[in-house]
Amino acid sequence: MSRADDRRFADVVLPHLDDAYALARWVVGNRADAEDVVQEACLRALRGISGFSGANSRAWTLAIVRNAAHDWLRKNRPAAIVAVDDLEQVERLQACGDAAVSPPPDDPETALIVRAEELALQAAIEGLPTVFRETLVLRDVQGLGYREIAEITGVPIGTVMSRLARARDRLIETLGANK
Amino acid sequence: MTPAHDDRLWLNAYIDGELDPAHALEFEQRLAADPALAAAHARMTALRGAIRDRVPRERASPLLRRRVAALARPRPAPGWRALAASVAAAFVAGSALTYIALGRCGSAPVAQDVVASHMRALMASQPIEVASSDRHTVKPWFNGKLPESPRVVDLAAQGFPLVGGRIDVIGLTPTPTLVYRRRLHVISLTALPSKLGAARPRAIDGYNIVDWTDGNLTYWAVSDLSAPELEDFARAFRAGEAEP
Repeated sequence: MSRADDRRFADVVLPHLDDAYALARWVVGNRADAEDVVQEACLRALRGISGFSGANSRAWTLAIVRNAAHDWLRKNRPAAIVAVDDLEQVERLQACGDAAVSPPPDDPETALIVRAEELALQAAIEGLPTVFRETLVLRDVQGLGYREIAEITGVPIGTVMSRLARARDRLIETLGANK
Repeated sequence: MTPAHDDRLWLNAYIDGELDPAHALEFEQRLAADPALAAAHARMTALRGAIRDRVPRERASPLLRRRVAALARPRPAPGWRALAASVAAAFVAGSALTYIALGRCGSAPVAQDVVASHMRALMASQPIEVASSDRHTVKPWFNGKLPESPRVVDLAAQGFPLVGGRIDVIGLTPTPTLVYRRRLHVISLTALPSKLGAARPRAIDGYNIVDWTDGNLTYWAVSDLSAPELEDFARAFRAGEAEP
């Protein structure tokens, strides 16, 4: 590792450490494991820093963190990785069915969501399947745009949109049905 | 006519501000005309607001920040001091016990000295006296200071990058120590004349120790790395090609 690489790493990766940690934390589920994942990702980033094109340092960094987190899940929580294609197909079928019945505006469901407690919100997000959770967190907690999320998660924008829609539908269902 | 699935994608994209103005306008008109869509919009907006207001943004801890910053700086830097500080408490607590346990029965003075040197190095503002990942810089540095310079092996490809070297005093003998790294773990590798040291503990104070003899030298590898990984390091070093 040259000094130039070290400097580049400091410029490209370190500014996004909070985002990196937040993403890892939401994907693997706890602080200690998330810190290990971020550390591992940063080592990978340092090794690959010469390959960074200079386009979007946040997306580049978070893509590495995301891969490291998924590698960690595969190794430590194989059950958490659901075959995504299957999942999305099932969701698509279900969505066509239940979208027809929608409650009127000012319905109690909306009121429940508005009042949802912090812990209930967190638990609901944590209960989402991994790919839905990371997409939702990147968008709603971390504030990234569709294009950036597509780059980070390595899927087309259309897939980002459908995952986001699914994730939000599930949260609405969970929070709106509480109590 | 439009499937509900597509409606929902439009709704999400609209809420996220991902629609261009022409499409946003078109969608707003549909929203006004479709009560079911408007209800879905209200719930979606409520959810976004709740997440924005009540889900805390996670931040990297100062410790993680230092650990990561230290990755790019195997040279004297705040990262080392942080590492040293975390070791210091364990050292203060542990050293008295080590001294009593080992000093009293005198079982492993060499291993004790080797581990103590490793700990001292971690606590120092500078864990290495010559900082370089280039063995052609590290080896000559020893030349001017010790009668014999150690064998230096490049193990970066095996995941143990060379960080530098220092001179430790083991049993009143100045000896060369190479410093390697595995992730954030520091490995001290000390080469001693074989006659020194008889008892060979596998660990002292939580630091794992691996030793082996090669010709008239005994090598001692010390690290807080797990025992199997330290064995890997020893194997890689022994198999490694010495410098020309």
